Amino acid sequence: MNIVVCMKETPSTTAEKRFTADMRLERRKEDAVINPFDEYTIEEGLRQQEKHGGEVIALCMGPATAAETIRKALAMGADRGVLVTDPALAGSDAISTARVLAAALKKLGFDLALFGSAAADAYGGVVPAAVAEFLGLPLLSFAAKLDIADGKARIERAAEIGYQVAEAATPALVSVVKSINEPRYPSMKGIMQSKKKPIDTFSLADIGLDAGQAGAAAARERAMSASPVATQRKGEIYNGNEGAADRIVAFLVEQKVL
Amino acid sequence: MANDVWALAEITGGKLTSISLQLASKAAELAGQLGGSSAAVAMGTSTAAAAADLGSCGVKTVYAADGAVYDEYLIQPHVETLAALVEQHQPAVILFGVTNYGRDVAARLAARLGLGLEYNVAEVTVEGGDLAMIVPAFGGAQSVKTAFTGGGTKLVGARPNAFPTNRVGGSAEVVNVPAASAPANGAKLSGPFGAEGAAEAGHLGKAPDGHDMWLPAATRAKLEEAQIIVSGGRGLGGPQGFEQIEALASALGAGVGASRAAVDAGWIPYAHQVGQTGKTVKPTVYIACGISGAVQHKAGMGSSALIIAINKDKDAPIFGFCDLGVVGDLNAIVPQLTEKVRQRKG
Ligand SMILES: Cc1cc2nc3c(=O)[nH]c(=O)nc-3n(C[C@H](O)[C@H](O)[C@H](O)COP(=O)(O)OP(=O)(O)OC[C@H]3O[C@@H](n4cnc5c(N)ncnc54)[C@H](O)[C@@H]3O)c2cc1C
Ligand SMILES: Nc1ncnc2c1ncn2[C@@H]1O[C@H](COP(=O)(O)O)[C@@H](O)[C@H]1O
Repeated sequence: MNIVVCMKETPSTTAEKRFTADMRLERRKEDAVINPFDEYTIEEGLRQQEKHGGEVIALCMGPATAAETIRKALAMGADRGVLVTDPALAGSDAISTARVLAAALKKLGFDLALFGSAAADAYGGVVPAAVAEFLGLPLLSFAAKLDIADGKARIERAAEIGYQVAEAATPALVSVVKSINEPRYPSMKGIMQSKKKPIDTFSLADIGLDAGQAGAAAARERAMSASPVATQRKGEIYNGNEGAADRIVAFLVEQKVL
Repeated sequence: MANDVWALAEITGGKLTSISLQLASKAAELAGQLGGSSAAVAMGTSTAAAAADLGSCGVKTVYAADGAVYDEYLIQPHVETLAALVEQHQPAVILFGVTNYGRDVAARLAARLGLGLEYNVAEVTVEGGDLAMIVPAFGGAQSVKTAFTGGGTKLVGARPNAFPTNRVGGSAEVVNVPAASAPANGAKLSGPFGAEGAAEAGHLGKAPDGHDMWLPAATRAKLEEAQIIVSGGRGLGGPQGFEQIEALASALGAGVGASRAAVDAGWIPYAHQVGQTGKTVKPTVYIACGISGAVQHKAGMGSSALIIAINKDKDAPIFGFCDLGVVGDLNAIVPQLTEKVRQRKG
């Protein structure tokens, strides 16, 4: 079974965040990590490979330096990497990103394409469904469990309340939520081996797209300005257990909640 | 028409979700400002009841597509119906909720029709005839103003509770549209909300760890809809700690939330997680018990109207953004509080 895991490079959650002059999220090379949600994506790809064999390809669209981040997925165990990188890609919005990933997936071919439920930079969670639309395939989204058997992928889908069971024929696209597994840490051996694993680079032309179909040129949304948010809180502090419950009840009454 | 504003309603297992009413209320308001008409699109079963509910929030028209197909397949039939309606009527704006359903439908629609899409929107206004959106960034520390470029219908994804429900009264004209046909290659639902094996009412199926999931009891409000949320963190010390939280929540008629630490420890299911990687809530009161107040937790609850914190560490970050902070032991305070609330409510 050929598995492609789509992983985004994001700034680490603890990195200090800033906008660039043209209102994009500043992405510093030293802060770059695998989107934390995509650690689950990669882990699920590896687990499915353990069951069904085949190859796991880590696919990422990002700057040329993202090869180092792909290397971390290879250290976890993915067989090879594919980086779609092109100067014309800068400033891509979610739909353009999906167009690019769909074109790359088509070129690679797959039985199973895995996504995370969102990227930790903008919390969109829209790329997987848009990729599915571009490919004309079903998406099994927000999977908390994935089983593949008899040419079908079957998931337990995390719904707003509880779970739904959904299935689709392969080739299938699946996005996973973090309760699906516990991502592994790369082993020393994995890190050593990752250095020898191939990472191919695709340009936009390589996947049959032209510059107007992605990047800032195709973006349909624009950030105009940003301002810090100040919230006014009452900030009353009550010390000690004694009388605390009474104070809370009184507070709820003052606020007309009780 | 060029200035019309639509709301994408969401029907789960025949029930209209609360965010649908928030979106409908906002659609009616925005349509007024843009000088267009307002509508909601309801796809699923029991759309007649949904249409009445949506109409009471001021939308002029409800496009209702009634059919089991929407319960039997994920997303694709909804997109078929919606795309046809959009091509026919070309509204200026469609408001959707950034729920799992809303994101999947909007993303496909944008990809199919080449539309602009903005998500996680906290506010949307009309400035000089154009839409301006406010999107929180960096865990809510910054607020970014965004706009669309180019023409076509604009898809605006709102966070749950970003807009209030306004029951202005009134009833919508219901336009019935034919249900989509089953997709040739679709994601078929079975079990809880699906066609087959709908088991017993209220049974949501098995959780990944194998235990049965049921609809929350009536006393326990659904998290995003709850006016009061009692939330627990690592400070509860174990799964039994949530019994105290549940008791207080039940006394207050509140929902139960949790920090990621509590969820990761397996003390409570993920559906209760509040924060950057969990739910975004905006209740009237959020009571955080044994939660330190990490920025990722704050991202999901920081816009609650009132925040009460109980924490034994006076230096916990949560005391930096609460309205009432109690420095004390939750094991002593929570049971007393529950008792006092019960007494008051009689
Ligand atoms: C990418 C990413 C995403 C994340 N997403 C989320 C998210 O969605 N939601 C989320 O919550 N977190 C999230 N986190 C985790 C977050 O950083 C914190 O680790 C987490 O919120 C901590 O949970 P906590 O406050 O329960 O635990 P702790 O930080 O350990 O705090 C426990 C608190 O309980 C207090 N306490 C202990 N005993 C008592 C007692 N008897 N009485 C009163 N107080 C007591 C302690 O003083 C302490 O302040 C995320 C992290 C990352 C990296
Ligand atoms: N630039 C990218 N390269 C590879 N995969 C991506 C990229 N952007 C998004 N994805 C995938 O889409 C998922 C959801 O991302 P998003 O919709 O951007 O929040 C991620 O978890 C990835 O699996």
